[in-house]
Amino acid sequence: MLVNAIGRAVPALLALLLGAALSLPASAAPARNAKAAPGDCAACHKAEKVLPAGHPATKGMKLDACAQCHAPKSEQALGGKLPGMHLHQLRGIGCAQCHGDLKKPTEVAHDKCMSCHDTAKLVEKTANVKPKNPHTSPHYGKDADCNLCHHQHAKSENYCNQCHKFEFKVP
Amino acid sequence: MTNPKQTTDLLSRRRFLQTAGVAAGATVGALALPRAADAAAAPMPKKWDVTTDVLVVGTGFAGLAAAIEARDAKADVIVIDKMPVPGGNSAINGGDFGAAGTQMQKALGIEDSPELMLKDMMKAGAYLNHPELARTVAEQSAAALEWSQTYVGAQFDRVNFHGGHSVKRAHQTVQRSGAGLVTKQLEKARALGAKIELRTKLVRLVADKDGRIVGAEVRRGYKFPDEASGTPAFIKARKAVVLASGGFSNDVKLRQMYDPRLTDQFTSTNQPGATGEAIMAACMAGAMDLQMDWIQLGPWTSPDEKGFGYVPQFVERVVGYGLMVDPATGKRFFKESGNRKERADAIILLGHPALILADSTNTTKMVDPGQLKGALDNGSLRKFDTIEELAKAYNMPVDVFVEQVKRWNTYVEQKKDPELDCLIFKDAVPNVTPPFYAARLWPRVHHTMGGLAINKDAQVIGFDLKPIVGLYAAGEATGGVHGAVRLGSCAMADCVVFGRIAGKNAAKQAAWG
Ligand SMILES: Cc1cc2nc3c(=O)[nH]c(=O)nc-3n(C[C@H](O)[C@H](O)[C@H](O)COP(=O)(O)OP(=O)(O)OC[C@H]3O[C@@H](n4cnc5c(N)ncnc54)[C@H](O)[C@@H]3O)c2cc1C
Ligand code: HEC
Ligand code: HEC
Ligand code: HEC
Ligand code: HEC
Ligand code: HEC
Ligand code: HEC
Repeated sequence: MLVNAIGRAVPALLALLLGAALSLPASAAPARNAKAAPGDCAACHKAEKVLPAGHPATKGMKLDACAQCHAPKSEQALGGKLPGMHLHQLRGIGCAQCHGDLKKPTEVAHDKCMSCHDTAKLVEKTANVKPKNPHTSPHYGKDADCNLCHHQHAKSENYCNQCHKFEFKVP
Repeated sequence: MTNPKQTTDLLSRRRFLQTAGVAAGATVGALALPRAADAAAAPMPKKWDVTTDVLVVGTGFAGLAAAIEARDAKADVIVIDKMPVPGGNSAINGGDFGAAGTQMQKALGIEDSPELMLKDMMKAGAYLNHPELARTVAEQSAAALEWSQTYVGAQFDRVNFHGGHSVKRAHQTVQRSGAGLVTKQLEKARALGAKIELRTKLVRLVADKDGRIVGAEVRRGYKFPDEASGTPAFIKARKAVVLASGGFSNDVKLRQMYDPRLTDQFTSTNQPGATGEAIMAACMAGAMDLQMDWIQLGPWTSPDEKGFGYVPQFVERVVGYGLMVDPATGKRFFKESGNRKERADAIILLGHPALILADSTNTTKMVDPGQLKGALDNGSLRKFDTIEELAKAYNMPVDVFVEQVKRWNTYVEQKKDPELDCLIFKDAVPNVTPPFYAARLWPRVHHTMGGLAINKDAQVIGFDLKPIVGLYAAGEATGGVHGAVRLGSCAMADCVVFGRIAGKNAAKQAAWG
């Protein structure tokens, strides 16, 4: 399953990450370095340009510092621009809080997400999202798997749009 | 071959074809059989990962009806589904449940009977329906609806008309969605102790050396559509496997085997997982398939929205009130109340989308306000203040079209259509009150009538025309109930009626180990 999670996110990294999910890779591919500070992009991304030219240095920053310029709910909000893992890490939620044992990380189940998130509150929070509340549907109720839309290691997606045309911005 | 008779008895036609060459070449005859069978169904594993009495494949109406009945008969039940969400097509369906002679019909003064429903099904099915199966559905439809209401807890609050039926008999859920039933079935199945495993895909059925189905090879943690995902596991089914894996409208390769016209140029109303590999797995284990080339296109989908969308809920409600025209001529071209196949074929023959319209009085009386709003909001349904404006918006010859609408309105007044013999409802009024609502129509692949051969006990039939021990099937995965054309609302009846039969009989099957 490692194959897919990573394969879908960054296919080229497959072989590399299979062997060394947590250690620093030799190439320019991003490492899943559990010890790196989340604002220190280069610690994992190496020379890869992940920020626009001229972007202020982010090393040492956490999400609230980013939010000075990337205000939540605004056009600049970071949701959807970074894989979910970054958004959690920038909030101080590290690999271990989702994966537990980091020696052999496995897929994280829906229930794990629910240990921090609350369905009822979530549904209420997004009740006015247009055109529909993404957190409830006639088909799947309030219990749809978070990972249908929010991906932690890949770009998030809009699951409903297989059949609908809902213009969501999925963080 | 030393004993060809015995060979064909033991082998399915497919296994036979697959292995005949080898066997003939080596002249080992009957001795090679167990191995030959292995090639088609999965080999008996050394170790089963999980054991249950009844394994159900599919979490739609049919699979969950089977699971509930099997649990009620005290069998252990595991239900698997390859998708990350439960419910298959059932969770996105329009919620119309065809049933004859119900309390709701009686309360509304609708005279109906199983005989009449059967007649309608057979007529639409071009008499290719297996009569015994169609009769079972018609006769048990009212009981199945009642079970869905009182035992499962789904709510139905109106009775709709669908093209091809003689009377209004489509009982619709309050949610206007099949989810109104299937989510209740899921709750019920769980409450009764059935185990539901999502993202678990049936890969192959496992048969013993006599061809009895004894379990299945699956992939757990499967991520549709990545065939390499997940880890293999073997589930032992002590009593039986119930296949309720739905149809294959979204399986472009497979549907083109049966109807080569249905290329990827045609999209589908179905969920993406509506593919046929589970049906094929059953065939490889000796099951017979039938009528697979009867693939239904829905004549009521709009090219101006995705998937099923809202427009069908407008179209099916205003049929018999409003009119359908060819925008190129401004004239009607086909009986609006005709069955799906007739209408879809007629539209495809036009070569371009048709147009359907109704005035505000007929529309507001018939169409659910939420559906109406949805269709207007996404632009697939448009409204106009005058008939002339509507004509211009779709580049129709204005005079011809205005005349056509007038003519239709006189038919509505007389409740008789001398032109194309459309059924006109008693409460229909002439379309004169603005705004006028209109939508374009272009068909999509909607339902696969064919599937596994079953008998009225939901046992799957093999190529020796005998039931395969330990294998049951129900719902869209089966063939024969609907013949050439499935009438709207008859799938829900089919799934619940045969799902229940399959579940009861699977639980009764003597365990093999
Ligand atoms: C948009 C839409 C609207 C409809 N409206 C109506 C209506 O109003 N009235 C009516 O009567 N009919 C309607 N139909 C038809 C009806 O909904 C379907 O025929 C019915 O839901 C089929 O139910 P089922 O239980 O047989 O299969 P499904 O509900 O499709 O369930 C089958 C399940 O099996 C799973 N599966 C498939 N292969 C495998 C495998 N290899 N391993 C594990 N799992 C597998 C699928 O993922 C799926 O979840 C509609 C259909 C659609 C698409
Ligand atoms: C001082 C202001 C400022 C701070 C602080 C800041 N950024 Fe930015 N960021 C910008 C500007 C300006 C842009 C370019 C405009 C845009 O695309 O939104 C940008 C762009 C980005 C982009 C590319 C956006 C896209 O659309 O692809 C990412 C990713 C990003 N920033 C991440 C971060 C992260 C993570 C932090 C905190 C660790 C951060 N930024 C902190 C100002 C800031
Ligand atoms: C918010 C929770 C979350 C955080 C934080 C997180 N992950 Fe994950 N991780 C997931 C989820 C969910 C998956 C499954 C992804 C999928 O299948 O789409 C996953 C998958 C993986 C996998 C593949 C495992 C498999 O079998 O599929 C690895 C390896 C991994 N994560 C490593 C890490 C590392 C290293 C970090 C920290 C740098 C991290 N993760 C942070 C949620 C998280
Ligand atoms: C250890 C606790 C924890 C776990 C486990 C966790 N989250 Fe979060 N997550 C948070 C917190 C705290 C926030 C920020 C507050 C909020 O928005 O709820 C957050 C925010 C989010 C956001 C909004 C991101 C943004 O910036 O807009 C999403 C989406 C999300 N989480 C999804 C998930 C998913 C999916 C999982 C499971 C794979 C998961 N979370 C697991 C704590 C957690
Ligand atoms: C159908 C796709 C989908 C699914 C499934 C989904 N989400 Fe979301 N989620 C969204 C979208 C879209 C938004 C952004 C809504 C908005 O525009 O504010 C969002 C926003 C969020 C936020 C930020 C809310 C806020 O306003 O601060 C959190 C936290 C979150 N989701 C967590 C979850 C969790 C946990 C699950 C699983 C229980 C989940 N989501 C399932 C689509 C989804
Ligand atoms: C802990 C290591 C780590 C840190 C620190 C980190 N990244 Fe990443 N990033 C990754 C990994 C690994 C991926 C590939 C997806 C995955 O597996 O999670 C990734 C993916 C991305 C992507 C998606 C595009 C792609 O290449 O797949 C963007 C954009 C991104 N990171 C931006 C940033 C920015 C901006 C920062 C600094 C604010 C940052 N990252 C910090 C590890 C990291
Ligand atoms: C596989 C196709 C499919 C997917 C995926 C899907 N829908 Fe639907 N949806 C439909 C169909 C078909 C209908 C109309 C029949 C019905 O109501 O079930 C519908 C109807 C609806 C309706 C009721 C009509 C309306 O617009 O008010 C809502 C709300 C809705 N969907 C929300 C969602 C949300 C939210 C998601 C994502 C979590 C989603 N759907 C995913 C096919 C789908």
